[in-house]
Amino acid sequence: MTPMLSLRGIGKRFPGVVALDGVDLDIAQGETHALAGENGAGKSSVIRLLAGIHRPDAGTMALAGEPYTPASPTDAIRAGIRVVHQELNLLPALSVAENLLFERLPRRALGFLDRRRMDEEARALLDRVGLADLSPRAPVEGLGVAQCQLIEIAKALRSDGGRVLVLDEPTATLTPRESGRLFEQIEALKARGLTMIYVSHHLAEIFALCNRVTVLRNGRIVSTERTADTSPPELVRAMIGRSLATQAPVSGGPVGAEALAVRRLRPKGAPPGPGLDFAVRYGEIVGIAGLVGAGRTEVLRAIYGADGPPRGEVFRDGKAVAIRSPRDATAAGIGLLTEDRKAEGLVLSMSSAINTSLAALPRVTRAGFMRADAERAACVRYAGELATRLSGPGQPAGQLSGGNQQKVVLAKWLFAEARVLMLDEPTRGIDVGAKAEIYALLGRLAAGGRALLVVSSELPELIHLCDRILVLSRGRFAGEVARADFSEERILGLAYSGYMGETAS
Amino acid sequence: MSAATPDTALPLRFRRSRLLLRDAGIGVALLALVAFFALAAPDFLSGTNMSNILTQITINLILATGMTFAILIGGIDLSVGAVMALCAVVAGTVMKLDALPEVVAVGLGIAASLGVGIAAGALNGFVSAFWGVPSFIVTLGMLNVARGLALEVTNARTIYDFPDSFIAFGTASLFGLPVMFLLALALLALGWVVLTRTVFGRMIYAIGNNEEAVRLSGHRPFDTKVLAFAVTGACVGIAAIVYVTRLSIANPILGVGFELNAIAAVIIGGTSLSGGRGSLVGTLLGAIIIGVLGNGLILMGVTDFIRQIITGLVIILAVVLDSYRARLSRSLG
Amino acid sequence: MDRRSFVIAGFGAGMLAAFPGFARAAGGTPKIGLVMKSLANEFFKDMQEGAVAYAKKRGGFELIPVGIQSETDIDGQIAAVENLLTRGVDAIVIAPADSRALLPPVARAVKSGVKVINIDVAFDPESMKKRGVDIAFVGPDNRAGAKMSGEVLAQALGRGGKVVIVEGNPGAENATQRKLGYQDAITAGGLTLIDSRTAHWETEEANSVFTDMLTAHPDIQGVMAANDSMALGIVKAIQARGKTGAIKVVSFDDIPAVKPLLESGALLATVDQFGSQLAADGIDEALKEIGGQNLTGWIKTELKLVKGKGAA
Repeated sequence: MTPMLSLRGIGKRFPGVVALDGVDLDIAQGETHALAGENGAGKSSVIRLLAGIHRPDAGTMALAGEPYTPASPTDAIRAGIRVVHQELNLLPALSVAENLLFERLPRRALGFLDRRRMDEEARALLDRVGLADLSPRAPVEGLGVAQCQLIEIAKALRSDGGRVLVLDEPTATLTPRESGRLFEQIEALKARGLTMIYVSHHLAEIFALCNRVTVLRNGRIVSTERTADTSPPELVRAMIGRSLATQAPVSGGPVGAEALAVRRLRPKGAPPGPGLDFAVRYGEIVGIAGLVGAGRTEVLRAIYGADGPPRGEVFRDGKAVAIRSPRDATAAGIGLLTEDRKAEGLVLSMSSAINTSLAALPRVTRAGFMRADAERAACVRYAGELATRLSGPGQPAGQLSGGNQQKVVLAKWLFAEARVLMLDEPTRGIDVGAKAEIYALLGRLAAGGRALLVVSSELPELIHLCDRILVLSRGRFAGEVARADFSEERILGLAYSGYMGETAS
Repeated sequence: MSAATPDTALPLRFRRSRLLLRDAGIGVALLALVAFFALAAPDFLSGTNMSNILTQITINLILATGMTFAILIGGIDLSVGAVMALCAVVAGTVMKLDALPEVVAVGLGIAASLGVGIAAGALNGFVSAFWGVPSFIVTLGMLNVARGLALEVTNARTIYDFPDSFIAFGTASLFGLPVMFLLALALLALGWVVLTRTVFGRMIYAIGNNEEAVRLSGHRPFDTKVLAFAVTGACVGIAAIVYVTRLSIANPILGVGFELNAIAAVIIGGTSLSGGRGSLVGTLLGAIIIGVLGNGLILMGVTDFIRQIITGLVIILAVVLDSYRARLSRSLG
Repeated sequence: MDRRSFVIAGFGAGMLAAFPGFARAAGGTPKIGLVMKSLANEFFKDMQEGAVAYAKKRGGFELIPVGIQSETDIDGQIAAVENLLTRGVDAIVIAPADSRALLPPVARAVKSGVKVINIDVAFDPESMKKRGVDIAFVGPDNRAGAKMSGEVLAQALGRGGKVVIVEGNPGAENATQRKLGYQDAITAGGLTLIDSRTAHWETEEANSVFTDMLTAHPDIQGVMAANDSMALGIVKAIQARGKTGAIKVVSFDDIPAVKPLLESGALLATVDQFGSQLAADGIDEALKEIGGQNLTGWIKTELKLVKGKGAA
């Protein structure tokens, strides 16, 4: 039987980089095929070729036996290949319905929009991704990342996914519950015989959803196997070319004095009530867990003064500090790794050296002039310490992989001598190998006597990293779990507790 | 590439080659333009004409130097022409105060021009940074305010008859080059040092690229923004003085549309309108291109209307080429 | 004038056009509206001040002067006319920003019985005929004035002298008339015109443009500038080239700033069109119309040739 999609000898090079080299891949009709590999292994390049964004330098592609040579994303869609990209491509000012149906808006005579049909079609699509309670007329800009991700998927479902549906990291920003709903949809599409390509870092998802999995490493195919015939450790070994040491929990150092404490903290959007009280000590890694929308990011931003002076009190080393802006927070030795590294953490088009020194300029200046040597030296030093892979201190941060970008952000705060580090989703969009490195690094920082406060939507991550976990539910603390009591059930139970009927405040 | 000990020499070369690539594109365009005019207009390459071109671009070069600061930080200043008129008439009024000795009056006049320029620029920066209003609209308002003030100060009249000692500067030359052009060049060099070597310059580029990341790294972008616009204003004050010494008059309607020429020079020079990317070297080349184009077409005998059309087409061509160049340097990166 | 007041003014004018008798003051001192162009222009500023001074001196009527933002703010001027109608003026003296676009509201005023006198730039005769009005024009003959100025240059250079013209804004009526006048002088005096370019009335631009013209044509002997502001820049360019005295300049307007140039002979001649009196002259004619006279055609105002040192 002819495969639905077939790649033969595909090669693609960018100046200085071989992205793909002799890739042969067959996707059978009706199967769900996973692509796995570290960042930079070539998964994205394969997707870009399929989506018509790039053209291969060598080799041929065929779709259902016919030569497939898309010259543009429009060509790809016309040929029946739908790609849900990792980056969101929604138009914020337009409504949910308009975004969903943008490629072909329902019209009446004279080109007027058919509002009623739009609402109906949109509602049907939203229903399929479990967003039934979302109004089709709501503007997209008010929605969270997870909802946007689901809308992107709903958009691709409109024509039943065409002939091949490509999902690139669809669960990266979703909570387990949202992911679960997505998986139901994927199962339903599978049952209808749709061919799918599924890209994910989450091995559990690959094994639960996919028939076969292809592992890429350095632009070449390492293996293609039925998921029934392989196992997660085997897959990891194939991806990184070696086996990961079994993940021993990261342990912080000896716990010291209280580094950071907050009293009656009321972050932006917090519910009425007494506010939050908690403390983090030197040498400790404290996690904040909670569902999307529970207010985790807002806690960090409030302490940091990112949205103006926090409501509530902040103490450093036991002394109250007045924080009016991030400037005061950094002066008090607090650093923040933001959730959105690219938009808030780095100046992407500028060099790694410049990004390293950004929070500690006085250390690389003299009388208002930059000391370029000192700046480069700092970058090189931290690149060494954190094992950051860069071509040199002049390499723009935007050219680095996710893991290396995060290391540059960490270097920035280490160079600024921040003793309290707040990390918001420290491993988002970072591949398996680099994740392990970041975990080890955070463990070392805590062991070295820093105080770490970590927000993450991946429970295993928190369980792996933290000494204790604070669980937020609807803007309030639902409880605190010590390492000895860590379990996903326990933490999730607390996280949902605020949503189980009304609790009197 | 080795992870632990990255090669420090490589990125420097890498960065420099990218810089050269950017500016080389504009340089090649300029050379082509010069070569064309040299063939098409016999007098074009003469020493006198070269000197004329330098004189003619001086004011625009000074304004464009200031404009580069505003654009790099992610803003724009539409008020430079009108503020320049205000600076000029204030300076002119002060210089004509009979009660003061000539030297003092001239000195005070120059100081007044700078002061007015800096104040207007700082006000632009303050309003746009403090209330988060686009500088486009703030400076559009300032354009009207400054023009109105200039008319009010002078009652719409031309100020003339300045001290000879002051006027002499306008046409003086040194080593065969107009002194005022050398001044503009010195200012540009100073601006280049500030942008590439100082903390202030670093903050301008960083804010132009990603203001939020800068803020969350513990800085106050506000201060830098106000200062950047004040620099733009200071350049306007200097340009106004150059105008008065060169033409021996100050009137409240001078400088109409000069902001557009300055912006054109900056953009032709490869600085991104969205901020964070570009250099004063490019601005210098951009200003020269505009000057050469205007001069060369007159020398060729091209009529006014056609000249206007060609100038417009060149601006469009420059930004189109720039988008190609940006893509090229990205893919090489 | 902002958009809202413009709309309100337009509405008011429409109402008044429907009930002409309602608007105008019955008896009492007549009201005269004076609609100027941009007061940012020295010339119009002087003109308005002259009119205000004249109104004070003469007495017997109330003067309501209004100006606009810029030389080309046609909408603003239309709104100003309609505003005056709302205020019930008996006569309007107007220096139109455009010789056609202003005619509809003005014609409406005429038909509602308001007397209109046109100054500075004449309304287009064709458009007037189409609207069925014949509005008297009080103003200088720019073409004749430029010819006077140009003839001084022709006399100084003699037949065959090589000259260039530096023009005003392309499309502006007075710029066109002055260029025609200079061309008349060139033909009559047997001069050779080698180039003609605009510098948009601007000193700095005139300086640059003329410098380049001189490079292209080093044999230029004379320049005809469409206004004094540009002459200031041209004289500077001649000085910078060390050709003071070798290249002669004539221009138009007689603003105070050219006085030193006339005294030194750097400027050979300019023309005073008594701009400050123009509006006052218009008011005089308007009062005649209110008194019952019916004026039409072109009532030419005085032009005076002002010669500099060395002019014959």
